[in-house]
Amino acid sequence: MSATSGSKAATRERVESWSGQSIPRKEDGRLVQGEGSFIDDLGLHGQGYAWFVRSPYAHARIVSVDTSAAVALEGVYAVLTGEEAREMCVVPFFQIAPGDGARIEEWPLAVDKVRYQGDAVAVVLADSRDTARDAAELVEVEYEPLAVVVDGVEAVEHAAPVLHEKAGTNVAWHGVYDYGDIDFALEHADHVVKIDRLHFHRFSSTPLECNGAVVDWDKGSGVIDVKSNIQMPMFAAMVIGPSLGVAINKFSFSSRDIGGAFGNKIGFYPQIAALALLSKKAGRPAKWTEYRTEHMLSSTHGNERTFLDIEVPVMADGTILGVKARAVDDVGAYLHYEPLGAVIWSQVLTGCYKFKNVKVDFTSALTNKCPVAPNRGYSRMQQLWMLERVIDIVAHELDFDPVALRKLNFVQPEDYPYQTPNGCVYDSGNLPLSLDMALELADVETWRRRQSEMGTGTGKRIGIGIGSTLDSGTNNFGQARIVNPDLPFSGNGEAAFAKLDLYGEVNINVGTTPQGQGHETTSAQVAADILNMSPNDVTVTIGFDQAHNATVGFSGTYASQFAVTGLGAVMGATAKLRDEILEVGAFALQAPKDDLELRDGACLVKGDPSRSIPFIGIANLIYTNNAMLPSELSSRIDLNCRYVYIPPFEVPDVERKMGNLTLTYASQIHVCVVEVDEETGVVEILSYVAVDDCGKRINPQIVEGQVHGAVGLGIAAALYEAFEYDEDGQLQEPSFYEYHVGTAMDIPDIRTGNIESPSPFTPNGAKGMGEGGGAAVHTICSALQDALGKDGAIVFDSHNTWERVYQLLQSSQGNEPRGVRVISREGGAA
Amino acid sequence: MLLKSVNYVRPESVTEALDILSSNEGAAPLAGGQSLTNVLKHRVASVDLLVDISALSELRTITRAGDGSLEVGACVTYDEIDHSPDVRAGHAILARESSHIEDQQIRNRGTIGGNCCLSDPTNNLPPLLVALDATMNIRAVGGTRHVAAEDFFKGYFLTALEPGELLVSITIPPIPVGGGAGYVSLSVATDSKTIVRAAARVRVDGVIEEVRVVLARVASVPIRHHAMEEALRGVAPTAELVRAAAELIGSDVEPIADGHGSSDYRRKMARVVARRAVLAAIEEGGRK
Amino acid sequence: MTEQGTTHVIEVTINGRLYSRTVEARQLLVHFLRDTLDLTGTHIGCDTGSCGACSIILNGKLVKSCMMLAPQADGAVIETVEGLANDGELNPLQESFSRNHGLQCGYCTPGMLMAGTYLLRENPNPTEEEIRRGIKGNICRCTGYVNIVRSIMDVAGGHGAEQADGIVGEEQR
Repeated sequence: MSATSGSKAATRERVESWSGQSIPRKEDGRLVQGEGSFIDDLGLHGQGYAWFVRSPYAHARIVSVDTSAAVALEGVYAVLTGEEAREMCVVPFFQIAPGDGARIEEWPLAVDKVRYQGDAVAVVLADSRDTARDAAELVEVEYEPLAVVVDGVEAVEHAAPVLHEKAGTNVAWHGVYDYGDIDFALEHADHVVKIDRLHFHRFSSTPLECNGAVVDWDKGSGVIDVKSNIQMPMFAAMVIGPSLGVAINKFSFSSRDIGGAFGNKIGFYPQIAALALLSKKAGRPAKWTEYRTEHMLSSTHGNERTFLDIEVPVMADGTILGVKARAVDDVGAYLHYEPLGAVIWSQVLTGCYKFKNVKVDFTSALTNKCPVAPNRGYSRMQQLWMLERVIDIVAHELDFDPVALRKLNFVQPEDYPYQTPNGCVYDSGNLPLSLDMALELADVETWRRRQSEMGTGTGKRIGIGIGSTLDSGTNNFGQARIVNPDLPFSGNGEAAFAKLDLYGEVNINVGTTPQGQGHETTSAQVAADILNMSPNDVTVTIGFDQAHNATVGFSGTYASQFAVTGLGAVMGATAKLRDEILEVGAFALQAPKDDLELRDGACLVKGDPSRSIPFIGIANLIYTNNAMLPSELSSRIDLNCRYVYIPPFEVPDVERKMGNLTLTYASQIHVCVVEVDEETGVVEILSYVAVDDCGKRINPQIVEGQVHGAVGLGIAAALYEAFEYDEDGQLQEPSFYEYHVGTAMDIPDIRTGNIESPSPFTPNGAKGMGEGGGAAVHTICSALQDALGKDGAIVFDSHNTWERVYQLLQSSQGNEPRGVRVISREGGAA
Repeated sequence: MLLKSVNYVRPESVTEALDILSSNEGAAPLAGGQSLTNVLKHRVASVDLLVDISALSELRTITRAGDGSLEVGACVTYDEIDHSPDVRAGHAILARESSHIEDQQIRNRGTIGGNCCLSDPTNNLPPLLVALDATMNIRAVGGTRHVAAEDFFKGYFLTALEPGELLVSITIPPIPVGGGAGYVSLSVATDSKTIVRAAARVRVDGVIEEVRVVLARVASVPIRHHAMEEALRGVAPTAELVRAAAELIGSDVEPIADGHGSSDYRRKMARVVARRAVLAAIEEGGRK
Repeated sequence: MTEQGTTHVIEVTINGRLYSRTVEARQLLVHFLRDTLDLTGTHIGCDTGSCGACSIILNGKLVKSCMMLAPQADGAVIETVEGLANDGELNPLQESFSRNHGLQCGYCTPGMLMAGTYLLRENPNPTEEEIRRGIKGNICRCTGYVNIVRSIMDVAGGHGAEQADGIVGEEQR
């Protein structure tokens, strides 16, 4: 299939550099023709179709599981129960948590108990989707319901039903992060602003494509072939391998096109393990297609975090000295990737601000809800939101201008590289400039005028909000040791191959699992720059395949790092390839290597193009004609260049919870204008601006697309999307019918601006970006705060339905406790 | 997502459809399917035989009579209602509200009959039809009967239809001279599920002579608020009086609570949408 | 099909080609397209008819194929994403989506293209608001819709006889 769309813009004659150009994407040709290969498009001969039987109860003992009627249904190949799965496994899943959390026993299917509505108790394999579905209904499970806990704070601070008996507690992890001297600051500051409670709600990015897999545990070879859309395949292998008793090199993970992931496709390795066992039992491949309701119930929810007893010391001039808080993170019923969320937030401990004194008492709490796993902005978004609320509330209570207060407390351009109190290093940026740009693009001056002209009595109010955020990218996995010192993890990396194929074709493989970020295109751009050729002629293998051997332990696509780790690997591999081509070229052209250059798929003598050899000639000498070469050359050159990019990290100081936890810090400053209907609480967005700084942009159009996407998700989360459970642990939003995803009529046009502050730490000056740090959530909350006015209530929750906005407006007029107090030192101005 | 095994038949006439419906206990009519398909996907109700009436031309006509009344076939789609010159001529509000139902795909298949026969309190058209004093025309093997819209909606997913009966069309009287209609929905998001809504029809002749105020999503079916209507009958059509009348919506309504709104919020918002709907109706009537 | 049954023989014309198959009455049209006919360009993103990833044009109308049963499509003329390009040559709307970065993961894209195709047939010169209304039934999680709106706007109006789907002289309502 020819992809004609990519060729038009990319056949320009001479370009300075392909990096930095918004060339159309290589991916587009197949995707706009519906010729992508998503997991449900794939299959294996003889496969059966799987359907999971899931608990309707949030917490219950499994009394019995009777599969006889299901097994008897014509067309059913096999049914697997939790007990059987346990018997077929060697050990339960590896737990990241230490101590009590490490004693949690999780198997591919629930054994003895179910712990959330949707917990899988059995899985059916049949000859058709329909038969599997029908058979699942025939599996009879007897449950003995148990008491339910759906509130994270209640789960750990009061007597609550314990989910995992072997752990004996619902505290999955607890630790205190303490830097500087917050108590001293609180004692001596001019003001202390106390906020009782801030709550970041539970939602997820609900990628349009749900999870899926085709798993084949081949009897003959013992290889478990996993085609899926899981986005960290090697992490999945590392967890389920020991449980299944299978070595990593007996797995074959692959993926092709993935319909969005946003972190939500990291945690479903239990399903893959269950499918592997099912395949083994049935003696045929197992294909699983997850539908939306199943996804909402049992896939991934984002971290729900409650901040309590927040105290903020502030000086008279507005300098914020720090923050003290208690945080309880509701992580659901099982730990999938959690409790890493208990440390990852500390990458943005102080957000955009330069205060030095922070104390956070952090607990990860287990509850009878869907397990939490990374969601776009994973764990940092919650901290950044809290800090933005603090800034706005301090401004509100102490009568500071929110713009001036931010600028005063921002890390300043001359401070970079800036070390935070916990040893993280902000590489570069210019927050005040970004903020000014956003304010100007949004024409805030005019809106402020309109806001004051509006006055009272029109029934409408205008609110102008600012959200500042950081998108920390490229994790140092050593931070896992801060959660569990016994974990042998540190650093990060990504691998890539650059190869000249038999006829001189340039081919790149990367260990990533792209889900729409344009990896094929940007990889081709950077490789094309190094080889001085058109990206059209650089082939980048679609998707991920373990067999390519371009993987390291943390290979995948997540954590806003591709531009650094993925492209770093591509650049390294391509640079090696370039060097090898020149070496062979030097021999072939009988010229010194320094006299040579590469151009448009050939190696030639600079200034004398008649002396040249095309890549096909280079390839020929190595692959099929190597007796022509001196053995000194042919013994060390193979035109198959593997490179692992390793970011410069050290193992963090676990004792002090300090270290360089992330390599790069992109930033975004958003400004929005809302109009609120006083009678109903309905919010309309009148204007939305986002300014991003992610260092050098390899493909500006792709970067801008990521900014748009993050805004869309953030607005929808702030106003429409929430996962809520009733007291019986029943999810109130189990499908798109109840869970309102923002549509094209809900998300406004978004105007963008950008700054490029190159990172001094990365090979290409780029910073990872994509997650977006939840900026839109902060910005909408900020705008609502502004609309509530000077004496208004405070916005205390990240989710603001019309009713909540209405209640905030109502309570602004009453004398109800607002959950915030200011204590000023005698003599200090209030 | 995957349905239970089901039988399907596509009759070629209403008579044939009625025969099938009356002789098969587990049979249900399938019109646009924009609700029923979801019901079947989630296996929340059992249907043995789907009787596809969506293409029956007898059910797909729109007729505007000489007196300005409108008869809309049960299987006319929202999109067709939106674009119908006959509907727009005398019942612009019906065209307008049909055009705001969810999205283009749903409007291309969903039907006015389906919207009524499901009797889901979030359905868009039932409150409007009650406000407009529509009549539901029902056919059975034995003959035809007519039921006022107000009496058609009985409860959650329950209508006045008896087994074997089919809603074949809806007759809407002309909006009286000097009258207008209004419809206001407080929704979760734009053109999306309603939190609470109101529809109104008034006729003003110096004072408010006739008024119908219908609230939706405060009960299992659309209800007329008689107290508010009583307070408005015979008074001047001023904003203050309409507001005062709307305040009568109180503990007499007990809306359910869900993720999109508490009972108390729905009650308070019912006053707001009722007021706004009546004012819109007054304004439309004044314009004509 | 005036005889009732749990299976039916149906004839459907898809992208100009006639197919005749036996289907179970319970099979959703989208599964018929994907599983029975291997036309996997039409996608499934939800189970409540909310997301529009399954959008196709049936008898000239944009519909969600997950909200119809296969037997309901008997005798229908259907257009899917696979019919937009001409032997690998992208049509103006597809090119515009690529040029304007109106897709990222590509999962909503077939549905968006069908919605865009239908919208521009009905309204060759839409305003931004009309475009947003036209794609309201199509959810995207990647793009925030901005570039999708731009992609459709870029082929709207001012193109004379060459309309978005390259079909010249198509009658407009």
